[in-house]
Amino acid sequence: MAALRNKSDQEIKDLLNEYGIKHGPLVDTTRPLYEKKLKEAMAKAKVPVTKPSPDRTFYREDQEEVTYVTYQTPVRSEGPSGDGKPYMRSRPEYSERDRVDDKPYSRSRPEYSERDRVDDKPYSRSRPEYSERDRVDDKLYSRSRPEYSSGRPYVDEPHVYNTLSSSSYSKPTPVVKSGGGVVKKENTTSSGRLIPLWIQFLVFLILAGFLYFIFTNMESAESSPFNRIQ
Amino acid sequence: MSSTSQKHKEFVAEPMGEKLVNALAGIGEVLGKRLEEKGFDKAYVVLGQFLVLKKDEELFRDWLKDTCGANVKQQGDCYGCLREWCDSFLLFQFVLCQRKTYQHGPFI
Repeated sequence: MAALRNKSDQEIKDLLNEYGIKHGPLVDTTRPLYEKKLKEAMAKAKVPVTKPSPDRTFYREDQEEVTYVTYQTPVRSEGPSGDGKPYMRSRPEYSERDRVDDKPYSRSRPEYSERDRVDDKPYSRSRPEYSERDRVDDKLYSRSRPEYSSGRPYVDEPHVYNTLSSSSYSKPTPVVKSGGGVVKKENTTSSGRLIPLWIQFLVFLILAGFLYFIFTNMESAESSPFNRIQ
Repeated sequence: MSSTSQKHKEFVAEPMGEKLVNALAGIGEVLGKRLEEKGFDKAYVVLGQFLVLKKDEELFRDWLKDTCGANVKQQGDCYGCLREWCDSFLLFQFVLCQRKTYQHGPFI
């Protein structure tokens, strides 16, 4: 259907509504944009969409037991990506899998528990399954802190999940480690923290002990400041 | 979202007034020049376009890409900057305009 240019504003608006394209008022600065969108929508309508979403990443799996489901989330206004963020979930036997990914951060982390962002889906969070998140994201952010870096822009609901997942991750990790799986990057921790928890506790205890030592060795103020010169 | 740039912080800290389009986060010299050629010479004109697109992220990003060739990061920065500015100031400016009519005092 050519000659979109020659159509009146009202006709363009009707076409936009027909294709379900969200739009604002048709002004001379917005018109080229909407014409382009209509052109794309028309071209797309001719080709029936049968293949899966192009954003889906493919897993290279050595194990047979890995299952994953992809689904699309609703468009979030704060996320930088557009619509269609496929999410991946995997079982604890994920540790052997090496993901083929074009993202700029390391993904091969065996005992990696991530928060499932899709809150309205009926996936139970109490199971110690590992859920992977695959964000079409052009920003570089440290994957070692998934619970913190990406937790902020989202509402309170995930915080509940965070405690569940953080409490449940510690159990399966010895299983995975003792299973002797091919753990790619072992020095990166089980919980996904930069510094392991025990080190943090240790540092804290050392610091507390040090301060206590200083405190007890301070000169006592019991003696009277007014010493008699004998 | 990741941390915001200095440019973003400066832009959303105050009403934009007559700031040039380069003041927008994500819009550097090259993009700014392209926008100016298309007629978007001041930041408020881009704001106008942002509002006409109903502050929708996807529409604004597409428009920005078509108009000046911004990449995904630049689009995101500009969108975030304008959105935050609107959250802080859009209603406030409206109120400010209304207040001006009472400058002379209530008893005249």
